Amino acid sequence: MRNDHRVLDLEILAARIRRNVLEICRQRGGYAAQGVALSDISACLYFDELRPDNEGWYHDRFVLSNGHDAIMTYAALAESGHYTMEELRTYNADGTKVDQSPLEGQLGFEITAGSLGQGPSQAAGLAWGFRQQGMDQRVYCLFSDGELQEGNVWEGIMFAAHQKLDNLCFIVDNNDMQASGHAGDVMGVEPVDEKFTAFGFRARRISGTDMAELLDTFEEARNTKGKPFVMICDTRLWDGIDCLKKALPMAHYTAQSAIDWNKGIKEIETTLTRLEAKRDG
Amino acid sequence: MNETLTQLEAADFINRSFKPLPKAYGDALVEAARADPRIVALCADLVPPTETDLFRDELPERFHNVGIAEANMIGMAGGMARCGEIPFCHSFCAFITKRVLDQITMQAAYPNLPVKIVGFLPGIATLLGVSHQAIEDVAIMRSVPNMAIFEPSGPEYHATMVKLALDWDGPVYLRMKRPETTPDEFTPRSLEIGKGMIRREGSDVTIITSGLCVLESLKAADTLAKEGIESRVIDMASIKPIDQTLILESAARTGAIVTAENHNIIGGLGSAVAEIIVEEGIGLSFKRVGIRDQFCEGGTTSFLMKKFGLNSSAIAMATRQVLEKKG
Repeated sequence: MRNDHRVLDLEILAARIRRNVLEICRQRGGYAAQGVALSDISACLYFDELRPDNEGWYHDRFVLSNGHDAIMTYAALAESGHYTMEELRTYNADGTKVDQSPLEGQLGFEITAGSLGQGPSQAAGLAWGFRQQGMDQRVYCLFSDGELQEGNVWEGIMFAAHQKLDNLCFIVDNNDMQASGHAGDVMGVEPVDEKFTAFGFRARRISGTDMAELLDTFEEARNTKGKPFVMICDTRLWDGIDCLKKALPMAHYTAQSAIDWNKGIKEIETTLTRLEAKRDG
Repeated sequence: MNETLTQLEAADFINRSFKPLPKAYGDALVEAARADPRIVALCADLVPPTETDLFRDELPERFHNVGIAEANMIGMAGGMARCGEIPFCHSFCAFITKRVLDQITMQAAYPNLPVKIVGFLPGIATLLGVSHQAIEDVAIMRSVPNMAIFEPSGPEYHATMVKLALDWDGPVYLRMKRPETTPDEFTPRSLEIGKGMIRREGSDVTIITSGLCVLESLKAADTLAKEGIESRVIDMASIKPIDQTLILESAARTGAIVTAENHNIIGGLGSAVAEIIVEEGIGLSFKRVGIRDQFCEGGTTSFLMKKFGLNSSAIAMATRQVLEKKG
């Protein structure tokens, strides 16, 4: 049975992560709409799914393929104390360590992403390597539906299925949005779940902002044996902040001057207050 | 303001609050395509940042946004060119050279097809860092047979890039840079394939440069003039084929050469100039200004130019050094 307290705690964390995204991006702009939409997945990964190691980091590995979604990691790791908000407010400034599209070596990032579609192969290689060495680490890789347009992605998918990598879980941010517009208009990739199934994955299609569903699906992924798992998470830019969703529904990149950041933060704080009252009441 | 406009180039987003930047290249491509029905435009998702939104809106029946799929784009362009179309392919410099080199060699360069490869974000000029930076692209493309490379130094040369690409009977790589601020009125200028342009005359030293480094070199020459050093500055927008005659004449005339490029010092313009001088058996004082064989980071262009030694003071410093060696 699902633990409702756990769901609520994670929803509160997700709201706090959303607020961090806005606090970070309001300085000089950034990939705020994606960070906001991915906050539930981020909360679930960093505060529930990835097992901790003994050194204050994680035993399991998270590979981010679309480098510009790094904001989801920064904003979550501010909640775990791995980053301070002071450091993160230098996001996007000249000379910052907090790059919009980070390099490996930066805390939280396994690979140098940013050139799209290269994460899945590397995650599959990691998962095969762990299995080969008899290690029990699980590997999670997040990429976007737009990246499915790169042939390289399908080559990685084929390898993962051929090798039956059941220690590998792909997370697709299925937001139907890429730099030049709706993915479905640019170069359609649907039906994503059926494509993965045909390639030999166990595929589940869920809402990327429903915490209970996310928890259930991560559990199913862990329990799946003999094949890799993919969760196709339907999201929309700004998911979780209604006023910004209405104001700027297609913001691949959000300029500092493009939105009213205070208005977005105010809406998150109203949500937070409601969730905290529910928890405490 | 500058910083925000760099972001405009670094990533495509809904542009609500800024004065639109000129799209001289995009306009010229539409104009050329109206006159020549064989011209087709392809783009791998980065439509406004490559100025192809104009083509998409004006000539949608000849425009393909292929999605995030550069290899596929070059392959399709090869196919289109084989049946007489003239495809112009667009992405950022990093993705349209390094990522698809095999497709370019097999599907455009070996068959010597008129596939025009157009990259934006040259060298270090992006906030997005290593993944989006192309500091090896000139070296790579220069070593591909049949390929020509042109790099404009400013928006006044953007329209003529389309003409040069069409005049070259084979594959072309255009290394483009969108302006970061709305420039003052500019007069479109033309240039010739295989001809360097003397942008300033001087007899003590020659600075051979291209792209972003041209203005920096001219600034450096102004500074040096105050110290009594007269520099000839050559804008080598035609990187391949290169102006061998002008390089050799400049070597003989000034006896000292500095090259300056927004690229790794290995394999780019500096290497091309050095190859010509050494093969001719000329001994002279020589120095390359460029990225010193290291990976860089993201940032505003002026910050990066300073940090990685590509700005006017770095060029002036190198020029003083070659003159000291020349004696």
